[in-house]
Amino acid sequence: MADIFDKDTLLDLTVNVIPLGIILFFVVVFLVVDPFSGLGAYGQVLSMGLLVVPFVALAILTYVSGKAIAGDEKRAEVFFQGQATMEGAQTRHEAEAEVEGEGEQSANDAEARTDADLGVDDGRGDDEAAGTEDPDAESEAADGDGGAANTDDGAAGEAEATDEP
Amino acid sequence: MDENPGLSEEYRMASPWPLFVALGLPIAEVGILFGLVPLAVGGLVLFCGAIAGILREAEYAASGWRALAALSLVIAGGGLALLYADGATESDLVVRAYSMVGAGVLMFVGGVGGELFARDAEPAI
Amino acid sequence: MEITGQLLLTVLMGAFLLGVAAFLARVEEWRSYTPLGAGGGAVGESGYGHAEKPAGLIRWFTTVDHKDIGLLYGAYATIAFVVGGLMVMLMRAELTTPATDVLGSATFYNSLLTSHGITMLFLFGTPIIAAFANYLVPLIIGADDMAFPRINAIAFWLLPPAALLIWAGFFPLPDVLPAQTAWTMYAPLSAGVGNGTQANVGVDLMLLGLHLSGVSATMGAINFIATIFTERAEEVSWANLDIFSWTILTQSGLILFAFPLLGSALVMLLLDRNFGTTFFAVEGGGPILWQHLFWFFGHPEVYILVLPPMGIISYVLPRFAGRKLFGFKFVVYSTLAIGVLSFGVWAHHMFSTGIDPRLRASFMAVSLAIAIPSAVKTFNWITTMWNGKIRLTTPMLFCIGFVSNFVIGGVTGVFLASIPVDLVLHDTYYVVGHFHYIVMGAITFAGMAGIYYWFPLVTGRWYQRSLAKAHFWLWMIGTNITFFAMVLLGYGGMPRRYATYLPQFATLHQVATLGAFMLFVGGIIWIYNVFVSWMEGARVESGDPWRLEATNLNTAEWDWFDTKRETSLAATDGGEDVQTDGGQESQRDS
Ligand code: HEM
Ligand SMILES: [Cu+2]
Repeated sequence: MADIFDKDTLLDLTVNVIPLGIILFFVVVFLVVDPFSGLGAYGQVLSMGLLVVPFVALAILTYVSGKAIAGDEKRAEVFFQGQATMEGAQTRHEAEAEVEGEGEQSANDAEARTDADLGVDDGRGDDEAAGTEDPDAESEAADGDGGAANTDDGAAGEAEATDEP
Repeated sequence: MDENPGLSEEYRMASPWPLFVALGLPIAEVGILFGLVPLAVGGLVLFCGAIAGILREAEYAASGWRALAALSLVIAGGGLALLYADGATESDLVVRAYSMVGAGVLMFVGGVGGELFARDAEPAI
Repeated sequence: MEITGQLLLTVLMGAFLLGVAAFLARVEEWRSYTPLGAGGGAVGESGYGHAEKPAGLIRWFTTVDHKDIGLLYGAYATIAFVVGGLMVMLMRAELTTPATDVLGSATFYNSLLTSHGITMLFLFGTPIIAAFANYLVPLIIGADDMAFPRINAIAFWLLPPAALLIWAGFFPLPDVLPAQTAWTMYAPLSAGVGNGTQANVGVDLMLLGLHLSGVSATMGAINFIATIFTERAEEVSWANLDIFSWTILTQSGLILFAFPLLGSALVMLLLDRNFGTTFFAVEGGGPILWQHLFWFFGHPEVYILVLPPMGIISYVLPRFAGRKLFGFKFVVYSTLAIGVLSFGVWAHHMFSTGIDPRLRASFMAVSLAIAIPSAVKTFNWITTMWNGKIRLTTPMLFCIGFVSNFVIGGVTGVFLASIPVDLVLHDTYYVVGHFHYIVMGAITFAGMAGIYYWFPLVTGRWYQRSLAKAHFWLWMIGTNITFFAMVLLGYGGMPRRYATYLPQFATLHQVATLGAFMLFVGGIIWIYNVFVSWMEGARVESGDPWRLEATNLNTAEWDWFDTKRETSLAATDGGEDVQTDGGQESQRDS
């Protein structure tokens, strides 16, 4: 259990702690400042229930999903989204190792070289000129004669690209 | 999936029944709600018949006819419940009740008859 | 009349059943003769003659293949979108003048209003999402098909009858009038009480149609839950499930709890209308009961509609930002949080009904809490683009448009969630502006992003880029003109759901109509583009048309597409030189 909910996982789960905190805040506020106490206990119970039930439900779901996701992370290889079933996909672990191990060096890896071969224009924001998208039906140019994606320094983008927040 | 792209494309991927399940249900609903006997009966027959077909096709049931007979009991039971409710409320449910019971009887007869005389007509798997 | 009517119906029904039997016999015959098919499909429409499926129209009526069903959903949603869009164009035309000069009748306006809302939410929104989910989820998670292919087909085929029932009032049927209840169907009006026309069978038919669409959505949801839980490929652990499938899973969970409730409430309403029960009558459960039941469904419904589009954005936007989605797990957890919390906020639609102020306060608190996960996602999208290598392709433009519009839609929503603000703005055009920023500006934009992004995958062809860009800009500008004008109208106090208005609102209404006209033109361009490009667009020349390989951002469905292409090219003639197989790099510049 402790090994599933390590620091990284807890950090991931903070997104859901914030709404939980907001709800908790209002619970306290409504208990301390209670301008409608004259209206009887029934409404009081209901209104607390309306806060407590979502709170508990969200806490449970966060716990369960955190356990499922973090548990699977520990158990099996982690890929980037949508890539798990692809052959030869890079695992997140590999990507991180690459980034950390080589730092700026990684700019020399395969993609960057290919891009250089293909003659990369800077393409930023003007990517139609590079033909990276669909050519018009008339302009018939096979897709992408303008060169590869506009990754003038593809690997730098890569370096920031880990999934970890 | 990687090694065998489009593997799913090699299964037989057609079934005639879903369309009729989906047609039978609204026809039956309209028929029962507005007390239109032909729609109620026809819709129920279509609905249950198509379900029986699917049960057979997916091999949840060994015989589509028997599945139909079983479903007919449920429908007839529903009709009887309506008949009972008719006594308890002011609304007139008799026509609706009888059309359900009638559809049930019809399907029961059809199911039993099919089972006895028309086993060959079983849909191929 | 009674007797001949029944007789006629009987004959018709009998003939119909005979027709069905004949059809079944024919299909069965095909089935018993066709050998198990061999050979994969081909690219494009030429591939639509598989040995394992009957040919022609019958193929579409009998298919249980998730991709075919996805396409059917897509076609259906498109038709519904066109119908709903034409309805609202009539409404916007009416609203160019303060009096009912254009349509001539406020009743007709009310009918259009009701139908527009229901059509767009239930017949366009939910099905277009199902289209993407059916086509893509099995491909992405490595499943052969949906867990229950036949249930999948049933779920789809329930929708056309649902549409016919919902629109029945507009057909030239004797004594059937369209519903004028608005999409919220508040009792007592919807219960047919009073001297109006709402006791008419047209309303009953609409309620039945809605009920059917709910059954359909529920069946689909069960199917997706089962598929994602049980049919995932082994490598696709929970940690590897992509964000789109996560949102579909969450959406399906919401549907599972929300739609049956709508179904029950509709049945209760039908009973009230036809059998004298008093669920929503003043002397019985009371009209407010309807509002509680409806919004307990209705608020989750808005998240049912927005979560998968958010998933599409989270999936597509990083591809053109040149980097992975920032904070992937934040997005997953916040999706789940939205899913749970959306059941705890329903009465923020009822702040002005006079319910206990303490209940209101609690609903306000949870509504504010639910804004956090939505904001988290927004920040993640922005951060993903930050310093990225942004490629402004059409899908990317729609993604960015989504984010921009969602910010406005979300912020206006948070204000509405605050009780004192809502008491002023409730039932004004501000609310209309708020939710249209989301349903049009965000949900529909995400749908378009998805359609353009996966167009090559589905059709094997390219759409026309310049038309697509024109579509985007018309819509981006049109959306903001139309719906910002509505926000301003709301501030000015213009109440919603009226065919007429005070002259002081005329200018802003005309502005809104102008924007709507831009949306209309953009929509025509979109339909034309998709249709023509599907038929004769330039063929895709590579298995990685978006060049995702270069940034290591390609995904399973494109991998499937790539392999399918190669298989089919090898099978046909291999005339194109994509067989090099030296890795995608070499194909990229083919
Ligand atoms: C950021 C979170 C959101 C908050 C806090 C919020 C809040 C609200 C509130 C308080 C209302 C009631 C206004 C009134 O009638 O007086 C409302 C209406 C509405 N919202 Fe939102 N909203 C949010 C997001 C969304 C989303 C994501 C959607 C759609 C997918 C949506 C769709 C709607 C719709 C359709 C209505 C109008 C319902 C009607 O016809 O009365 N909202 N919203
Ligand atoms: Cu809401």
